[in-house]
Amino acid sequence: MPVVDIDPDELRELSGHDEKDDAALKADLFGLGLEFEGETDDGELQFEFAPDRLDRLSVEGVARSLRYHYGDARGVHVPDTNDADWTVEVEESVPDERPYVTAAVIRGVDLDERALDSLIQLQEKLHATMGRGRAKGAIGIHDLTMLKGAAHGEEGTNSITYRGVEPDGDTFVALDSDAELTPAEVLEKHDTGRKYADLVADYERYPAIYDDLGLFSFPPVINGRRTEVTTGSRELLVELTGTDQWTIDRMCNIVCYALAARGATIEDVDIEYAGEGPDGRDELVRPDLEVDEKSVTHDRIETTVGVEFEPEEVVDLFERSGLDASYSLGEDVTYDVEIPPYRVDVLHPTDLVDDVGRAYGFNELESRYPDVGTVGGRHERSRLEDAVREALIGLGFEDLLNFHMTSGEANYDRMGVEPGTDVLGGGEPVGITEPYSEDYTQLRTWALPSIMTLLERNTHRAYPQDVAEVGLVAERDETENTNVAEHRTVAAALASQDAGYEDAKARLQALAGRFDADLETPRTEHPSFIDGRTAAVVVDGEEVGVVGEIHPRVLVEHDLELPVAAFEFRLDALAE
Amino acid sequence: MLDAASANDERTIDEIAASTGLKPETVTGAAFDLRDAGLIGVAETADETIELTEEGREYVSEDLPEARLYWTALELGAADEPVSMSEVIGNADLAGPEVDIALSNFARKGFGAIDAGAVSVNADADPDSDPEAAALSALADGEAPDADEAVLDQLERRGLIDRVEHTTRSLTLTDEGVTALMEGVEAAETVDAVTPELLTSGEWEDVEFTEYNVEADAPVVEGGRKHVLRGTADRVKDVLVGMGFQEMEGPHADADFWINDCLFMPQDHPARTHWDRFALDVPPIQDLPDRLVERVESAHREGWGEDGDGYHSPWDRDFAEAVALRGHTTSLSMRYLSGYAGAELEPPQRYFSVEKVYRNDTLDPTHLLEFYQIEGWVMAEDLSVRDLMGTFEEFYRQFGIEDIRFKPHYNPYTEPSFELFGKHPETGEEIEIGNSGLFREEVLGPLGVECDVMAWGLALERLAMLTTGAEDIRDLHGTLADIDFLRNAEVTY
Repeated sequence: MPVVDIDPDELRELSGHDEKDDAALKADLFGLGLEFEGETDDGELQFEFAPDRLDRLSVEGVARSLRYHYGDARGVHVPDTNDADWTVEVEESVPDERPYVTAAVIRGVDLDERALDSLIQLQEKLHATMGRGRAKGAIGIHDLTMLKGAAHGEEGTNSITYRGVEPDGDTFVALDSDAELTPAEVLEKHDTGRKYADLVADYERYPAIYDDLGLFSFPPVINGRRTEVTTGSRELLVELTGTDQWTIDRMCNIVCYALAARGATIEDVDIEYAGEGPDGRDELVRPDLEVDEKSVTHDRIETTVGVEFEPEEVVDLFERSGLDASYSLGEDVTYDVEIPPYRVDVLHPTDLVDDVGRAYGFNELESRYPDVGTVGGRHERSRLEDAVREALIGLGFEDLLNFHMTSGEANYDRMGVEPGTDVLGGGEPVGITEPYSEDYTQLRTWALPSIMTLLERNTHRAYPQDVAEVGLVAERDETENTNVAEHRTVAAALASQDAGYEDAKARLQALAGRFDADLETPRTEHPSFIDGRTAAVVVDGEEVGVVGEIHPRVLVEHDLELPVAAFEFRLDALAE
Repeated sequence: MLDAASANDERTIDEIAASTGLKPETVTGAAFDLRDAGLIGVAETADETIELTEEGREYVSEDLPEARLYWTALELGAADEPVSMSEVIGNADLAGPEVDIALSNFARKGFGAIDAGAVSVNADADPDSDPEAAALSALADGEAPDADEAVLDQLERRGLIDRVEHTTRSLTLTDEGVTALMEGVEAAETVDAVTPELLTSGEWEDVEFTEYNVEADAPVVEGGRKHVLRGTADRVKDVLVGMGFQEMEGPHADADFWINDCLFMPQDHPARTHWDRFALDVPPIQDLPDRLVERVESAHREGWGEDGDGYHSPWDRDFAEAVALRGHTTSLSMRYLSGYAGAELEPPQRYFSVEKVYRNDTLDPTHLLEFYQIEGWVMAEDLSVRDLMGTFEEFYRQFGIEDIRFKPHYNPYTEPSFELFGKHPETGEEIEIGNSGLFREEVLGPLGVECDVMAWGLALERLAMLTTGAEDIRDLHGTLADIDFLRNAEVTY
């Protein structure tokens, strides 16, 4: 979950509530869903919140939410923008993998140390969340005064271009560097370059932004040093590139709102796609501060929240959520709701209902048990599992619950079984593509290896150790819908000084008898068991498992110094 | 025995044994039983008997070595002039350890002196009246020695006699014993075991059973028992069935479509990246229901309903078809709600499962790669947040968890969403105990569900740790389990 670091003094200043102490702020923020997590070394308060309200990733956004919460602000506010003086031209050479760009110009910003820190934090947090680690959207912020626009159009406005360059097709000096490097060299030699090299690893051409003087930004990796933003910067260019226009536009909006909250003026930027732009449009004016509209019925709100409202009350709750709403009285009251352009979480009218509920206070609601009758019951498979488990417990077995994931070593090698052989446990493995640990690389094909591992880990405990498990096993099977054959197995082992074949068979017999199953045990061979003391478990004429004495080779492999007799067979053999 | 004992005279065990013809051991055993019954008194006196050792017996026939030394030296004229020690020893026929014994006791008893390798004797000494020799010979004749304690101690130190302590028990009838005897005592035989003969012969009516020390430790019996986590799962199932929920069933390895896409989880959601998910190396599922896939894809891309927006994320059918281990059992809910798991469902319905899920997480005391998820949902017309609260409060109340707090939360698949917090029944600490919400229309619409569905999920292990007090989840679950933990865990019910 995202965490935002907040300087409480700044929050008091921006929210206009000097009188609130830290404790009061924490309590108010908890009400908004921001949970206090701790303090940074610099004395900033850290709050964690769910990743829906990404407009709260900086102190400016949090202060805005508080003002709505306090009722100091109401409804949708959209900052005014000045007409565009700058254009971003998007050339056809732009990498196919990263075709989109958006931008805004910010004038008259007063960046003190705290404001600059906040801006950088917002940028990083947006990268981590909406930007999907910069892959989907990456933000570059530049000192506008360091840019020289190329003359553009009849009015002679300024332009920069977004294009693709060969990996070694040009050079620039990256942030935190003195060396003139090509983009490919940055990926190899610069710390930040190395960190983000994977993002463009498959690109034929690298994304690059040029002004009249040359390359000044290498998104999504790093900016050029020339346009670095400092506390002295008063005019900024914010540019974003990415794989989705809507995503970068919204990220841009969140940045613009944060800067506008500090008194900056937003200025439009024209985007001109040489090829086809998003939704077939080749000219855009950005930032896209258009207010979205959705409608929601009064009935839906009342049903979901479970409270009866007057329409005026609902409008008030909308306004306190930072939304604007109007309604028309009629048979079905419907609200037309305006959604500010920094909101990224309103995908459907149901999200508006949630805002009303939060503004009302969900914890104000009185719970009730739904007056709906249904009949409960257990699934047949789970009832059978339980019945077999109970029978095993009655026969003296300790009921186990082992992991379904295991390693090839435990499942096959240590049991002396080869994958792809026609013995119990010899099925083809279902492997985990990118295993987290070498102990968990596949699903188990049978359960006795789990039991042997458990016995191995408990050699210091008192014997006899009679243990059993009814659980899941799986193997690769392309005749199944999921290409994985899953079934339940019944496995049991008796470990004691004098455990023998007869002991295992006696219990197997008793188990089969309880389920009125006809058991036969014709002689068979299995690499985990001693030849001549191994039988197939045949239930009602079908071979479903194996019973016998575990081979000394397998015992020694598991550090066991006494005999183990065991059986394992498919659970469904006992089904009616 | 009561007959043989007297109320006035103490009779010893041996005397009673002689008069009753019983073995002394039997009399002793019975004496204690009768004492415990209050019928006789048992007095104990400690006696000492003295016996000659083998060496002691030898010196009775041969004289003590020091006496032999004296007589030989006297014969050689040592009363007048010292005689060489070797000559005396040779003539006295002393050998080995006897030499040292003779020399040390000779001087101690004042028989003479040894100086510069020569022996001189004290003519006045009289080994014949040596109390040590006298005591030995008295003992040899079976008489009590007329000697002081110091002499006997000396002999014991020399290893010539053994002093043995033994206890003599004497019995007297108590008043109760007398009364009992006068009233008539019925003697019953005591037996150890209830045998088939005892029962069939009817003899059991005349016997008494040996008493056991019923407080003594008994041998350890383990027996079989249900796994402690399974016990918690069964309890949860009972509660849910009681609340009208039906159990779901379905695959552990499933298409990402059922696990995530149906849940309106965007394909570029962080939880769907490779390090959070266990992708499997089997071919993709080819026969997903096409109509449903189209509807789900459309919900992701364009949103659901007139005012729906959908995600601005890539959506790829190949990813939807890829097979992975389920990260939650909500995949089962999707299969049931779509009607794909069986019949089309009409409201009202309640369904649940308590089944295993897989998360690519770090294995530590509170996290497992595999754990059990309790999943439940209610399908009905017009469900509200209040119904959700009421249902979950009722569920947790069954486990002693009261005062549930609902914290507004965000999930991609539910809105409104709530994290549930409850107080630990013992520590009172507030802990997260579940995640819940009303399924979004983007979830329900494509599945063809036209009413409301509220759902919640919770890790069973979390509930089990609360109810069993287990501190390390790895003791509870998996091949890492300590069998003693399972054997000793308190039963839950």
